[in-house]
Amino acid sequence: MPIYAPKSHLYESVTLDAAKARLTHSSRKSVYEALNLVAYIDMMTMLVIFLLMSFSATGEFLFIQKNITMPDAQNWSSLERAPVIGVSKDVVTLDGVQVAAMEELSKDSATGDAKISELYEKLVVLKNNYKLLHPTDQFNGIAIIQADKGVEFKALKKVMYSAATAGYNNVNFAVNAWSKGGGAAPTE
Amino acid sequence: MGVSIQGGGKGGRKSLNADLNLVPYIDLLTCMVAFLLITAVWTQLARLSAAQKGQGQAGEETPPELQLKIVVVVNQEGFNVVVGQDQTPIPKKGTEYDFERLGAELKKAKDAHPDKNDVQVASEDQVVFDTLIRTMDTALSSRFADISLVDSGAAGI
Repeated sequence: MPIYAPKSHLYESVTLDAAKARLTHSSRKSVYEALNLVAYIDMMTMLVIFLLMSFSATGEFLFIQKNITMPDAQNWSSLERAPVIGVSKDVVTLDGVQVAAMEELSKDSATGDAKISELYEKLVVLKNNYKLLHPTDQFNGIAIIQADKGVEFKALKKVMYSAATAGYNNVNFAVNAWSKGGGAAPTE
Repeated sequence: MGVSIQGGGKGGRKSLNADLNLVPYIDLLTCMVAFLLITAVWTQLARLSAAQKGQGQAGEETPPELQLKIVVVVNQEGFNVVVGQDQTPIPKKGTEYDFERLGAELKKAKDAHPDKNDVQVASEDQVVFDTLIRTMDTALSSRFADISLVDSGAAGI
């Protein structure tokens, strides 16, 4: 009786090569490859943490106007809802509506009155509206001045004077919150 | 969903290694990143408070001439720090205002009068807004919490 070297006898009866290869697990490697997602998930988690840290749920009281570059300040407070007077190098606006041109403000008034009449009238209307809508609350007289870095005090004081005569004595200047330490604490 | 345990370990026993199904987690992270990117605040806006006060304002209990006044006059030449009767001019460094020295002078004034919290910033017409904000910021850094912005003519210097 001849002696044969030992070999596998399984599936010898299957003649079809493809089926035999499948059954004996000797087929080619699968084209599917598992992706290593660990690095991707790490990156996404870091991104989510960073974005959550810079997330603000208070909403925006103020929007950056295209022709106004605001100055930076370290000792800032959080914004409150109040009428916003924009002072750019060209125009003065109240809540986005033009109330005066800068050319008028640069001139010395013939009557000596520094008041900007349109701004004054609109602020008085806003003050009266507030008092009508909030009869029990005390009027705080806060107005926000969002002025450009390069605006001169001459124009600014006319805006402030108009606000003060209309009853807005507490003027807040809008600034870019900036801090040396990378996380300024509000002064209030 | 969750964990899929593959069979086919050696000896017919189930393998102890399990693959987590990360698809829902990646979906959640992607949605969060998209939402947070849309609502992100890149520029934080804030405010500096300034009162408008003139001389002898109604409601002041002490007559104005008896109160010690601390005034920072800002003009084209630089600063002038006025504490009561003492005046300290701080000239510009070239074309730049010397905020460092202003801060030091105001800190000195605060140390001498720790109860004093108010300071007036009196400006000339030609001074730009950026300089005024930096002056007020320096005053706030020197622990003067109550700042008023006035015209240099109204400050009575």
